[in-house]
Amino acid sequence: MQKEAAIREPLILGNKTYHDVTEDVCRPIEGKAPKMWYILFAIALIVGLYGVGSILYLLGTGIGVWGLNKTIGWAWDITNFVWWVGIGHAGTLISAVLLLFRQKWRMAINRSAEAMTIFAVFMAGTFPLIHMGRLWVGYWVLPLPNHFGSLWVNFNSPLLWDVFAISTYLSVSLVFWYIGLIPDFATIRDRAKKPVAKRMYTILSFGWSGRAKHWTRFELVSLVLAGLATPLVFSVHSIVSFDFATSVIPGWHTTIFPPYFVAGAVFSGFAMVQTLLLVMRKAMNLEAYIHTKHVEYMNIVIMVTGSIVGTAYITELFISWYSGVEYEAYAFLNRATGPYWWAYWSMMTCNVISPQLMWIRKLRRSLLFTFFISIVVNIGMWFERYVIIVTSIHRDYIPAAWSMHYPSHIDIAVYIGTIGLFFVFFLLFARYFPVLALNEVKTILKGSGQSYKESPDYHKHH
Amino acid sequence: MEVTKKYWKGIEELNQTPEFKQLRDSEFPNQHAVEQFLVDDQLAESSSGRRDFLKFLGFSVAAATLAACEAPVTKVVPYVNKPEDVTPGVATWYASTYYDGLSYASILVKTREARPIFIKGNKDFGFTKGGTNPQIIASVLGLYDSERLNGVRAKGIDENISVDKADKAIVTALKAAKDIVVLSPTIISPSMNTAIAALEAAYAINGTSKVKRVQYDGISYGAIRKANEQNFGAAIIPSYDFSKAKTIVSVGADFLSTWLLSNEYAVQYGVNRVPGKGMSKHFQFESIMSITGSNADGRAQIKPSESANVLAYILKSIGGSTFVSSALSGESKKVADAAIAALKSSRNESLVVCGANNEAEQLLTNAINNQLKAYGTTIDLSNDVKLYQSNDKEASQLFDAIISGKGPDVLINLGANPVYTAANGEKLRKGLEGLTMYVSTARYADESSSVASYIIPDHHLLEGWNDFMPKAAHYAVAQPTIRTLGDTYAALESMLVWAGSAARNGKDSTVAYDAIKASASILGFPDFAMLTHNSCGAVNAPASAYTYKAVSSSATTKSGDWEVVFYQKTAIRDGAMSSNPWLQELPDPISKVTWDNYITMNPVQMEKMGFVTTYDQEHGLNMASVTVNGQKLTLPVYPQPGQAFNTVGIALGYGRGANGEAIGRGAYQTKEYGGYDLNEQGNRKAIGLNVFPFVSQVNALPAYSATAAIAKVDGEYLIAATQIHHTVMGRDSIVRETTLSTFLKGDKESFNPAHKLQRLNEHGHHEEAPLEEFDLWNAHPIEKVGHRWGMTIDLTSCIGCGSCLVACQAENNVPVVGKDEVRRGREMHWLRIDRYYASAEESSVGKKANKDDFSYSEAEIAAVNPAVVHMPLMCQHCNHAPCETVCPVAATTHSNEGLNQMTYNRCIGTRYCANNCPYKVRRFNWFNYPSYKKFTEVNPAQDDLGRMVLNPDVTVRTRGVMEKCSFCVQRIQSTKLTAKKEARPVIDGELATACSEACPTNAIVVGDWNDDRSAVKASSSDHRAYQALEEVGVKPNVWYKVKVRN
Repeated sequence: MQKEAAIREPLILGNKTYHDVTEDVCRPIEGKAPKMWYILFAIALIVGLYGVGSILYLLGTGIGVWGLNKTIGWAWDITNFVWWVGIGHAGTLISAVLLLFRQKWRMAINRSAEAMTIFAVFMAGTFPLIHMGRLWVGYWVLPLPNHFGSLWVNFNSPLLWDVFAISTYLSVSLVFWYIGLIPDFATIRDRAKKPVAKRMYTILSFGWSGRAKHWTRFELVSLVLAGLATPLVFSVHSIVSFDFATSVIPGWHTTIFPPYFVAGAVFSGFAMVQTLLLVMRKAMNLEAYIHTKHVEYMNIVIMVTGSIVGTAYITELFISWYSGVEYEAYAFLNRATGPYWWAYWSMMTCNVISPQLMWIRKLRRSLLFTFFISIVVNIGMWFERYVIIVTSIHRDYIPAAWSMHYPSHIDIAVYIGTIGLFFVFFLLFARYFPVLALNEVKTILKGSGQSYKESPDYHKHH
Repeated sequence: MEVTKKYWKGIEELNQTPEFKQLRDSEFPNQHAVEQFLVDDQLAESSSGRRDFLKFLGFSVAAATLAACEAPVTKVVPYVNKPEDVTPGVATWYASTYYDGLSYASILVKTREARPIFIKGNKDFGFTKGGTNPQIIASVLGLYDSERLNGVRAKGIDENISVDKADKAIVTALKAAKDIVVLSPTIISPSMNTAIAALEAAYAINGTSKVKRVQYDGISYGAIRKANEQNFGAAIIPSYDFSKAKTIVSVGADFLSTWLLSNEYAVQYGVNRVPGKGMSKHFQFESIMSITGSNADGRAQIKPSESANVLAYILKSIGGSTFVSSALSGESKKVADAAIAALKSSRNESLVVCGANNEAEQLLTNAINNQLKAYGTTIDLSNDVKLYQSNDKEASQLFDAIISGKGPDVLINLGANPVYTAANGEKLRKGLEGLTMYVSTARYADESSSVASYIIPDHHLLEGWNDFMPKAAHYAVAQPTIRTLGDTYAALESMLVWAGSAARNGKDSTVAYDAIKASASILGFPDFAMLTHNSCGAVNAPASAYTYKAVSSSATTKSGDWEVVFYQKTAIRDGAMSSNPWLQELPDPISKVTWDNYITMNPVQMEKMGFVTTYDQEHGLNMASVTVNGQKLTLPVYPQPGQAFNTVGIALGYGRGANGEAIGRGAYQTKEYGGYDLNEQGNRKAIGLNVFPFVSQVNALPAYSATAAIAKVDGEYLIAATQIHHTVMGRDSIVRETTLSTFLKGDKESFNPAHKLQRLNEHGHHEEAPLEEFDLWNAHPIEKVGHRWGMTIDLTSCIGCGSCLVACQAENNVPVVGKDEVRRGREMHWLRIDRYYASAEESSVGKKANKDDFSYSEAEIAAVNPAVVHMPLMCQHCNHAPCETVCPVAATTHSNEGLNQMTYNRCIGTRYCANNCPYKVRRFNWFNYPSYKKFTEVNPAQDDLGRMVLNPDVTVRTRGVMEKCSFCVQRIQSTKLTAKKEARPVIDGELATACSEACPTNAIVVGDWNDDRSAVKASSSDHRAYQALEEVGVKPNVWYKVKVRN
């Protein structure tokens, strides 16, 4: 067992025993759901279904039900796609990268962060599908043997790279998440009394018996998967950024995009984790496991990635002027002072100024402030994508083709609908899945638990 | 004899073991597997069991479901007897002639499987020399309008009646009548004149005919005829020849687009607009910004009442004596002085024209031309124009009589529409309703003919025989290109039948044909087959000598604080073709607005008066009321740079069918989710507002300008424009412009500098290198390998008329999307014409006045009287196309002939290609235009009759796919095929795209760039050639040529 300096804040507060951990995590699954859960679920479901209905209308009628036009071929659709993919970055980063760096605090949050990741990637994946003019032939993006002669996909297209990047990321994340869940499912299985639940959790726990051999293999697989997932964290958003970076459109054609997009993704992903966990720890009585220290750690990540993003924005702005390229310079001038100035300055305020407040210890340890900033950051990150996509193409090379973009109500409905669906999934997860990696948390209980740290024998060996 | 070798599958076969035999015999089991599957052994004895029942049920449901899946029915009717000249898949062209009362042209009509689908100008025969205009090209769609009358109508009866019944009633009425009036638009058909003469002879009392003729056109050019009558003693309109003019001065005449025979003039104008020593100089004085004005070398904004002063000033300066004030100041004086200098140097190689329908101003114009000795060089009085003979005085007397109930006993209307075009149209309609016998030959139950006792609808122009004498020395015929679609009757035949000199014979009637053949023979064309082959020929005009006699008049246009100009738009003109959706959706070449008319006003003045001066898809224009002679109208106010201060312009030709008349499918407003928008009376709402009632008679002539009062009115109106940004923002690689003097110096770098990029050389120093040396990719092997199709577009000759755009739409089955979609920025035109105004920040369009102090926000605002450049833009067929690399499914690829190809069937609709196109020329099918309910009323492809206009060589695109200019690849393929069949290479000039063919000024040249002797190669290699956005490095196959202003 690992010992930790006493000066470090404990990661598990209160006088928790191993049994308490099990109890705390299993209670919501075994007990009855509170009324609030049903209300939230109903709201999320209604919003989600409204979105599904709008998507069906879109598919039945045509892309024209959105507010796009001859100049602006992408707007909310790809904005939402990139936004959701970005959000879907935190989970894997937390569980894979932090695992490799042996950051123990991740254990309290990795389960729900990963769940969030997977649901966010689901939502993200929706948009490239429904933005296609002919979804029914969308499978042509897969390099499948076919009877159309020797038609093959175009490996030059970043959109094709997206297909591979997103699907790989989704499958690896899903497997990683599931592997982590197996011991916890087994715990629930062992405690389950109702036959249906018992049967379900038996299937889910994949024959886990808790033997030492299982644990060794479990650790090994986790490590291997973490190794696999880590490059994916960086590749997915880099590839998403290639959609823009490899184009010829001023404002898109930027070599800074891959790192800038990855930093932005981590930034928005952590913000989303904060938003969700700050509510969840209260609602599910997990204050002992997810507390100020965790929030502070995450705020530091937000602050660092936010600063990277801010630097990228300013670099972009400087380079556009320094390049001396007419179109490039105008694209950025137009962002800041053109018809979409409000979107640009919303982005700047939300993404550059707000994370800098985290330098103040009091603020980054304030849960209420964190919750507020986490929402601000995600608004800002949505605007970032909108600014990149729409303000670049609405005024590009040929002024006669310049146009404006106004969203239709279907644009809005589809976006809001994915948020609804996301919460439907997340609420189901919170109700039926162990929201904390309970078996993993147990491993740090004696090293980092408050009661142990404060007990007189804790320092004996040191 | 050889023995066939025998092989065994194994030792078992050789030995013929019993096991082998058994296996061999049971390879095809004798039992029927299906029976075994479906029934058990005791079927005969027992009733079917539950399992069997389910099996049968399942099978029958599946079978019934499959049987119910009906394949779509496609109607293919084979020929019983194959008609001559009709080979499926091969086009047949007919030489013919177009005349609709406004435009005249010698044309070629393309028919496929016996349906006319395309019209182009005839470059080989006729004085129009291939010149057409958007209306002529689009007229083919009117043939397939399902609201066109398809049978004889009688008042009060909702269905077609037999023509004999109508004829009997008409002839009875003619016999009984005391007076008969034949009202018509200008008739230039000698045969029709003969027929009217026959009618006059047939209905006479004591040698005096009861028949009176009145010619009435919606647009009058009476002042020119009247002025010539005074100066030369003959009420004629002379032939103008702009190709002989080195200096052209136009005072308010939009001679390139709507004035007189503008399609003829556009061709002539193009001849001298080639940069070089002989390039003509063109000055324009006008109130609105017209197409002609946008092409002028010098342009001054004047109020309509100032045209007389401008003319007088010019006349006085070149030594004439003037009878009106010649006071002039400011900008107009400066332009006038420049014009005078040019006129003085070109003398008789000059032409001055005036657009005002005002006698005094036309007299001044004649005096100037006489002073310049232009008669005999640029103006030909002897070969006078026979069009536009409207007798406005007689017509208004007739209308007044009809209104007061004293109308003729019988009125025969050969297609005039005075209820719509006359000032007192509404009253006239009530008067016409009261006539005892009113016969019309209109093609639609329009404003004037819907109240007729009988409508014997005339054929469409493409369906029947016609003959024309457009000028004194020119005779032309029009031949049918399709058997009549409906039960229609040539007006010529009807007249002859009513005169008692012919009998009907249904669709096989040869009455009109015989009459025209006879006329042709009299005019000196005994070989009628040759005449129809050429479509026209020269006749001897009666010799006449005209001598100029000075006449003065002071009745010039009255001035007011505000003056309004009623102008014609290229697409809609007098409104006769306003049901044509191609024309409604043709962006106005200047304002780029579709589907509406509006008040044009100078934005500088609008800002002072509190009107908004910008607009987009969700932000409309403010409304204003214009009061003329106590009548008031309310329309949106459009910011029009170049409009003279204190003047407004309103287009004629809108608001047709406002009282529920059926004037054509495309003529009405539609709703956001499809269907016509109806007014309180349940009638379909008209598009725009009719301003003909505001055209008042001044000195017995309709005056197309008037004094007015303007006031701002509450309300916002969404306008559908295809361009919402109007300046080029000082960017110098999109349009390039220079002056003739700079160009003549021959230093390419001074007017068309090559792009250079900086790079580091081997010593680490910066150096400039030409663009060709920078490339991301390896070059395609394009030079000298097979064909490489290319195009050059000369911005100097392009006048922005819009003919290419309509031709492209007709050729390539481009869908019409309606006002709401155009407003949303989703028009589908493959070819668009970008129009740029210079801003105050630019010394010429695209050239920054001061590089270091350039305000982008100021550059967005057009100058008060801006220079204008028209730039046709379509797919540039880039050799390094950015669209091709980004398509995930390789739906857009490069051909080995340099074309950027779009494979519709492969497209999945990600729109990435459109985003990555620097020219923004790709068009996405946002909806299923051929079937979605929103487009039922506007898109011809949704109408059973309308879709007959579709070009069978071009796919109709489904929803969700991208489309764009293909360089008319179907024409390229057929050109190559013809050459191949004839075992020869493709000859330069053999290939023409729809746009290049339609261009009246030959601004567009296409051809094989790999052919060293081709015109396109030469054109793309000269000093003026550049490529738009060349520095992006996409290597287009389209070159533009620097605009040169004289």
